[in-house]
Amino acid sequence: MTTTDLLAAKERELRSSRAPRSWRPAVGAPLAAVLLPVLGFLVWQILVSSGLASGRLVPPPSRILYALWQLQKTGELYHHLLATVGRVLFGFLAGAVAGILLGGVTGYFRLARRLLDPTLQALRAIPSIAWVPLFILWFGIFETSKVALIAVGVFFPVYLGVSASLSSVDRKIVEVGRIFRLSGFDLVRRILFPAILPALVVSLRTGLGLGWMFVVAAEFMGASEGLGYLLVDGQQLGKPDQIVAAILVFAILGKFSDGLLVLLTAPLTAWQDNFRREQE
Amino acid sequence: MMLSLRSLAKTYPNGVEALGALNLDILAGEIVAVIGGSGCGKSTLLRLISGLESATRGQVKIHGEQVMAPHPLINLIFQEPRLLPWLTVEQNICFGIRHLDRLEQGRRLRAVLQQVQLQSYEKRLPKELSGGQAQRVAIARALITQPEVLLLDEPFSALDAMTRASLQDHLLEIWRDAGPTIVIVTHDIEEAAALAHRVVVMQPSPGRILEEIDMDLPLPRHELDLEPYKKRIRAALRRSLASTDQPELNLNEAISNRRVFS
Ligand SMILES: Nc1ncnc2c1ncn2[C@@H]1O[C@H](COP(=O)(O)OP(=O)(O)O)[C@@H](O)[C@H]1O
Ligand SMILES: [Mg+2]
Repeated sequence: MTTTDLLAAKERELRSSRAPRSWRPAVGAPLAAVLLPVLGFLVWQILVSSGLASGRLVPPPSRILYALWQLQKTGELYHHLLATVGRVLFGFLAGAVAGILLGGVTGYFRLARRLLDPTLQALRAIPSIAWVPLFILWFGIFETSKVALIAVGVFFPVYLGVSASLSSVDRKIVEVGRIFRLSGFDLVRRILFPAILPALVVSLRTGLGLGWMFVVAAEFMGASEGLGYLLVDGQQLGKPDQIVAAILVFAILGKFSDGLLVLLTAPLTAWQDNFRREQE
Repeated sequence: MMLSLRSLAKTYPNGVEALGALNLDILAGEIVAVIGGSGCGKSTLLRLISGLESATRGQVKIHGEQVMAPHPLINLIFQEPRLLPWLTVEQNICFGIRHLDRLEQGRRLRAVLQQVQLQSYEKRLPKELSGGQAQRVAIARALITQPEVLLLDEPFSALDAMTRASLQDHLLEIWRDAGPTIVIVTHDIEEAAALAHRVVVMQPSPGRILEEIDMDLPLPRHELDLEPYKKRIRAALRRSLASTDQPELNLNEAISNRRVFS
C-alpha cells in the first residue's frame, strides 16, 4: 500500500465511524428526556403489582392512569383543565404586559428607575401568597383575585428581567444607533428592544413557571373548579390517585406551555451566537 | 474648509483631561491620519468630531456649521465592527438608509457590496462572518449613507496583516470613487504613511497636537519609498512619548492599542 492509499483508507474509516454518530443526538435527546420518569414508573408499577409495596398512599401508574381516564370520561378533566389554563393565561398576560411596561420604563428612564424601582423591589420582597387575603377582600373570592395573584407572580421576574437587561444593553451598540441619529422611540424599537429579546424570553419563561405555581395557590384558596381544586378534593376525599393525576397534568401543562413559548420565540432569538443551542 | 476644530477641549466627568485646546483644519477630500500613544485622546477626538461626545470647550464645525450631535454628513467607524447581531448583513448595511425607498436602497446596497467585495454575503448573520468581513460590513454601513466625512478609529488594528492591507486598499478606492474627507486614527506608522495626506502626531495629558507631517506623495503609494516619511513620524512619536511617564516603553508597545479597546 502506498501512503496515499493508507491515508484514503484512514479517511474512509474516520468517515464511517463518524456517520452513524450524527443521528444519535437527534433521536437520543427526547429518549433521554423521558428515560428517568418511565423507568421510575415501571419500577413502581412492578413493586406494587408484585405485592412488595402497598401503593395505598403512592398509587401505581396503572391507578393514576385509570383515575385520569375516569376524569376524562366524565368530562371533568377537561372542565378543570380549562379553568386552570384560562386563569394562568390571563394572569400571565396581565403580569407579562405590566412587567414589560414597567420594566421598560424603569430600564430606560433613570428618573423612573429612581422613583419606582425601590418600591417595586420592596413589594417583591413580600411573599406573594401574603397578598391572598387582601386580594380576596378587594376582588372577591372568584376569578379576579385568582388572576391577580397569578399576575403578581408573573410580574416580578418579567419586570426584573426587562429592567435589568435594558439598563445593561451594550453601550457600543447604542452608540451605533446614535451615530445613525436614531431618536428615542426608534432607538428603543431598533436597538434596545431587539437587544433585550433573549433576556425577555428567559424572564417570560420564569414568569410562566411561577404562573403555574401561583395558580395552585390561588385554587387552594377556595375554588370549585380547576386542577388545584382536584388536588384539594383528592386530599379531602382521600384519593391519592386523583392528586397524582392532577400533578401529572400540571407537569405536562408546564412543560408543554414552556416548550410552546420557546418555540414561538425561537425565530426572534435565532441570531444569538450561543455556545450551545439546545433544542428544548 | 470641510472640518474646523477650534480650541477643542474635553474633560471627562472623572476629571481626566483627554483633550486640551486642540486646533485642526481639514480640507474637503483630505485624508488625515492621527497617530499617538495609547491614551492621548485620539478616540476622544473622533468622538467629538462625530458628535457622540460633546466638547467641554471649543467647537467642531462642518462647512462652518457647528456639530452639536451626530451629523448626517459624518460617519464614524469603530475599532470593532459593532454590527447589530439580529440583522443580516444586508439589513445592517442599510441601517442608516431605512428612510429611502426600496429601489434606491437596493441600488446603493449593490454598489457598496461591490466596493467592499461582499456580494453573496447579504443574507448572512454577523455571527457567520470573519473579523475582516464584519469590519467590511461596518465600512459598507457607513459608506452607504454617502458621508462627506468618514472617521475611522483604528479600524484595522484587530485584523491580520493580509486583511489589513486589502482593507487599506479598499479604503483608498472608496476615497478615489467618492472622495470623502477621511480622518483615520491608527497606531501603525506604516498605515499612516501609506494612506494619509497629512499625519497628525498627538501628545498626551492633555491630548494635543505635537506635530503635523505633510505627505506630499501621490496615492496609492505601493511602489514609493515611504522610509523618509516614516522616519519623521517615528521621531515625532519618540518625542511625544518622552513627555509621558513611560518613556522606557518601546515605540511599538507604546502606540499599540490592541489590548485597550476604548
Ligand atoms: N468615557 C470616559 N470616561 C473617562 N475617561 C475617559 C473616557 N474615555 C477615555 N477616557 C480617558 O481619556 C484619555 C484619552 O482616551 P482616548 O481618547 O480613548 O485615547 P486613545 O484613543 O488615544 O487611546 C485616557 O486617559 C482615557 O483613560
Ligand atoms: Mg482609542
